[in-house]
Amino acid sequence: MEELIQTLKQQIIEVLNLEGMKPEDIDNDAPLFNEGLGLDSIDALELIVLMEKKYGIKLQDPKAAKDVFQSVRVMAEYIEQHRSK
Amino acid sequence: MEEVWITGAGVISALGVGKEATLQALLEERAGIGPVRFLDTTQTEFPVGEVPLDNEELRLLAGVGKKPISRSALMGIVAMKEALEEAGIGRDEMGKVSVVSGTTVGGMDMGEKYYRDWLGNDDYNDYIKTYTCGACTEQIVEEVGPVRMATTLSTACSSAANAVVLGANMIKTGEADCVVVGGTECLTRLHLNGFGSLMILDKGLCRPFDASRGGLNLGEGAAYLVLESATHARQRGVSAKALLAGYGNACDASHQTATSENGEGPYRAMKKALEMAGIEPSQVDYINAHGTGTENNDATESAALLRLFGEDCRVPVSSTKSFTGHTTSASGAIESVISLLAVEHGFVPANLHCDTPGEGCVKPVCHTMRDVRLHYVLSNSFAFGGNDTALLFAAPEVRVAMPAMPDSRQLYICAAEQVSLQQPLSRDWMTSPKIHNTPFEKAEDPSFGEYLKPLEARRMGLMLRRAAVTAGKATADCVPDAIVAGTGLGSIEYTEQILDSLYDDGEGYVKPACFMQSTHNTAASTIAIRTVNHGYNATYSHNGSSFAASLYDIWLQQRLGYLSTALVTAQDEMTEGFFRIFAKHGFLGNQGVTAGECSAAFLLSDRGENLSRAMCKLSGVEMQHCPTDEEKHLALLRLLAKAGLSLDKVAGVLLGLNGRETHDARLLASARKVYGEVPLLQYKHLFGEGFSAEALGVYAAACCLSAGEVARPLNIDDSAPKIVGPECLLVEGGDEDGVQSLILLTRK
Repeated sequence: MEELIQTLKQQIIEVLNLEGMKPEDIDNDAPLFNEGLGLDSIDALELIVLMEKKYGIKLQDPKAAKDVFQSVRVMAEYIEQHRSK
Repeated sequence: MEEVWITGAGVISALGVGKEATLQALLEERAGIGPVRFLDTTQTEFPVGEVPLDNEELRLLAGVGKKPISRSALMGIVAMKEALEEAGIGRDEMGKVSVVSGTTVGGMDMGEKYYRDWLGNDDYNDYIKTYTCGACTEQIVEEVGPVRMATTLSTACSSAANAVVLGANMIKTGEADCVVVGGTECLTRLHLNGFGSLMILDKGLCRPFDASRGGLNLGEGAAYLVLESATHARQRGVSAKALLAGYGNACDASHQTATSENGEGPYRAMKKALEMAGIEPSQVDYINAHGTGTENNDATESAALLRLFGEDCRVPVSSTKSFTGHTTSASGAIESVISLLAVEHGFVPANLHCDTPGEGCVKPVCHTMRDVRLHYVLSNSFAFGGNDTALLFAAPEVRVAMPAMPDSRQLYICAAEQVSLQQPLSRDWMTSPKIHNTPFEKAEDPSFGEYLKPLEARRMGLMLRRAAVTAGKATADCVPDAIVAGTGLGSIEYTEQILDSLYDDGEGYVKPACFMQSTHNTAASTIAIRTVNHGYNATYSHNGSSFAASLYDIWLQQRLGYLSTALVTAQDEMTEGFFRIFAKHGFLGNQGVTAGECSAAFLLSDRGENLSRAMCKLSGVEMQHCPTDEEKHLALLRLLAKAGLSLDKVAGVLLGLNGRETHDARLLASARKVYGEVPLLQYKHLFGEGFSAEALGVYAAACCLSAGEVARPLNIDDSAPKIVGPECLLVEGGDEDGVQSLILLTRK
């Protein structure tokens, strides 16, 4: 799980182009959206593409996807359970 | 001001070819949306509104042979020919007619088909020239022209509506008697996947304003209107099908792909349109809504409608996208034609599939209303970047009170900034220019961190960052009434990433950020969003004349009294890949001139408080399509006469020499004929070649007029005497085989 969390952080930084940010700057349990990392709805769409491309997980409903993107840890747990890649 | 009449219209969409087929489909409530038939895509679960003809059938209909051409251009030719025929304008009369077309996709259908061939082999090089938005308009013009002037609006889904606005402004100022306006857009994998990545496509039929709505269906098509001054139409003995009574363009300035909750942009656009016509909301008889069927648009549009027309909004509203699908850049024109048909035939088209209006939504007309008399019809077009435009049509018997032209006021360039191959945000080039001798260089960037926070910059490509920084510097504390941008290619970096992803990953993996920044209007709208500017907002994309068109737009509007301060920008970036592609085309990669990148921003104003920092006056803009030397000379004389100047006051002409031997030889020979003995200067050798390069010619001339002498590095001939105290400078720009411009700047 820890390894997946690290990989995921790296992928998030890369796909969202979070310049100057390192994996250790992202708290495993901090919210990704709004008050936490400050991401928005377009970032959520980017993460949906990331989930499909890297892990073969198709999230159909952007609103439901927000629950998956609560934090990096929640995201990693979801990937563990649903990944096909 | 001249009354703007509509004397002809033509259309092609999923409802068929021509006005008659469109009318029948609307009256019979027969939509044209269904499974994909012609687009080569794996995303087949999304219904689309395709024009029911393949490219070969379209070629026959358009009357073009085997030449390389895009589907957007083919549809455009068909629709424009119908419009001209109805207006009774023959090919021999086109020399007096201008064309303003809207598109965003342009020739992307060919781009996405041949992109890797262009990079890897020479088999489809002929198609490179069909790729840009400007190329799409040029290809249409080739079949109906030669025309007087042409340009291309590219404000995503409101492109065609904004083309109508420019055309009307040209007529009102007396710059043109007759302008064909509209837009065209074919389906592509690129934008089908792009809209898919934003998760706003419905897998079922779109249901505008319905509680269960689940997104839009993409459509395609083209439509054009012939706009004519009342005087000109009367002289020709033709009557109006309808009048263009008003129009409004406003920026939502909220978000790149989503609309604001209260619909500020849509509200302002509609309000402006009604105010221009001098009518009350209750006088509108029908509203053809933007109504895409997405959760967000329909809620916002409803909020704006209820705000303007009252909570009990009694005006019939419908979205005919339930028939055609969302035809994106063409929608403003297709829905204008539908609005005209409604006026002409006395009906209100239905809004299909809205059984239960959504919460907070307007209650649309569910079935065709027949035998109604429509005096005023409002047509809405909203777009990414919050580029919102409303058009107000009136029945021909309605009399529109036209105001007199306001007193003319001098327009000044108050600030100019650049990022290019020279030192960024600096005028060091005037004394110590950087010299380039490689075929292609990236621009020298300022330190973006000083101007942009990392989080706000995360989705901004280089082009956008440069635009934001130069615009910020040029505008300073001023709040412009309008923001207009020119770009030949838009964010080619992000477009390239999308194309690579389509080729390498297959469909379904387009990055949303890349898609939303790949529309050409991102720079102008991002600047508006950053500064919450709700004013007029537009983007032109017509190859090398994109910037000149932007300046022309502002020039017209200032004379009409619609604005007094404006930000005009130009930006183009270049990638290694697209440099190679355009070098094959011959446009880039020539000896002696480096292909570069450009971002330039100008603050223009006629207001006293801004004049202390004025650099020079903008004294006129002339635009022509493929002019002969004689026509160019006449344009020059017109330009000088309007500014009250004579040729001997022109201290120099900045030419767009680009290092291509044959091109430069022709340019110099033509310049000698047109400008006589006026000293000739150059600028692209310093700033680089690219679609936005002309902006740097204007920038260089403004710097020289401000400094009171012409910078030596602009001289073609090193031994020529230094020009001191120039009265005025001309910048010649545009494309040799397309639209050319003359921009006159005078010392303040």
